[in-house]
Amino acid sequence: MHEAPVIELYGIPLDLSIIIPMIVSCIIVFVLAKVATRNLSVENPGKLQNFMEWVVEFVQNQIASTMDLKHGRPYIGLAITLIMFIFVSNMLGLPFGIVMGYDSAADATIFGQPITTAVEAFNTAAAAGNAHPHVEVAFWKSPTADVSVTMTLAAIVFLVVHFQGMTKNTKGYFKHYLEPYPVFLPINLIEQFSSLLTHGMRLYGNIFAGEVLIAVILKLSAVGAVGLVASIPMMMIWQGFSIFIGAIQAFVFMILAMVYISQKIVKHEDH
Amino acid sequence: MHFVWTSTIVTLVSFLVLYFLLNRYAFGPLMSVMEKRRELVLSQLNEAAETRSEAAAYVEQQKEALQQARQEAYEILEQSRQTSGKQADALIAQAKEETARMKDEAIRDIDSEKNKAMAALRGEVGRVSVQIASKLIEKEIDEKANEGLVDQYLKDVGTKS
Repeated sequence: MHEAPVIELYGIPLDLSIIIPMIVSCIIVFVLAKVATRNLSVENPGKLQNFMEWVVEFVQNQIASTMDLKHGRPYIGLAITLIMFIFVSNMLGLPFGIVMGYDSAADATIFGQPITTAVEAFNTAAAAGNAHPHVEVAFWKSPTADVSVTMTLAAIVFLVVHFQGMTKNTKGYFKHYLEPYPVFLPINLIEQFSSLLTHGMRLYGNIFAGEVLIAVILKLSAVGAVGLVASIPMMMIWQGFSIFIGAIQAFVFMILAMVYISQKIVKHEDH
Repeated sequence: MHFVWTSTIVTLVSFLVLYFLLNRYAFGPLMSVMEKRRELVLSQLNEAAETRSEAAAYVEQQKEALQQARQEAYEILEQSRQTSGKQADALIAQAKEETARMKDEAIRDIDSEKNKAMAALRGEVGRVSVQIASKLIEKEIDEKANEGLVDQYLKDVGTKS
């Protein structure tokens, strides 16, 4: 496996393979949205504005399918940001990767800072008695192929869900933990945290697996002439499939966030 | 697998910043434009419906006006028919009156002519009879005295005849 490029600035560890693509993905999303809404027109929308309106309408329809749009209107912005950010992040790792190989701990630096993970890897290799250690560091990947990113996104949704539940539907929110019987309280609590965990892990697993397979196919291409020839169609197929997976996962993450919100804020009438 | 806690912070901050920037600069204006378009379409639909109902009202009005005009035309026709009939009647009556008057006049003329002729005849007959009588009786009779006699005689004749 490739190492993650972690550097330390003033004692603070920074994972460059997350920070750089994440900033890039934020910039892409914002620039896309900004360019699309630059010359807004009521009667004669441009192509990009049409596309953006299609996105907004798509998300609106999805929200309307989980809850009354009257309740769902405040979450449209959150849902669009989620789906666009996750989709762009999922796509980032697909077209290319930046992998650097280092042969000694002294070489393994970036921006004048030592890459701590690479240094550690050299140390363990030296301890294992490897005379010619070689460490590869991947600088470019999908931010969503990292568990800390996806779990953070899931945690943001989790906080929004429970905050909205407590403030907008206070009685129903606390009551539903005791339903159908008070005995179910622990199960209900576990359910909340398991949904948080699966929400983040599902996205991470899908994207990370896609990146791992891409790395494996890249290894195959380095094996020899046969491997190179064989890896090209495999790469094409897998990248196409990864685009599909990335789109589906972005959509699933968004729709699950909206489903969780609707479960908490919609008041259930007693039957 | 290294877990780097700053990744969480970076994700949190960048996502929140992205969310606020997008809402502030992109989706807020976009959604307001979409709302505006929705309102525009709605208002145009309303306008179209209004225009349509107006047009229907106009058609109704036109129909009414047409009906009224037709009624008026019929009335005028009827009236003129009546007046012409009346006029014809008046003309006929006048003509009748005229003919009756002319007939009366003619009768009167005839009567007066007859009377005149009768008077003349009477005078002639009186004179002739006096002459005959004077010839017959060869006697000079005072014409004047005899006139009363002749009148008496003729009156008798008139009553007897």
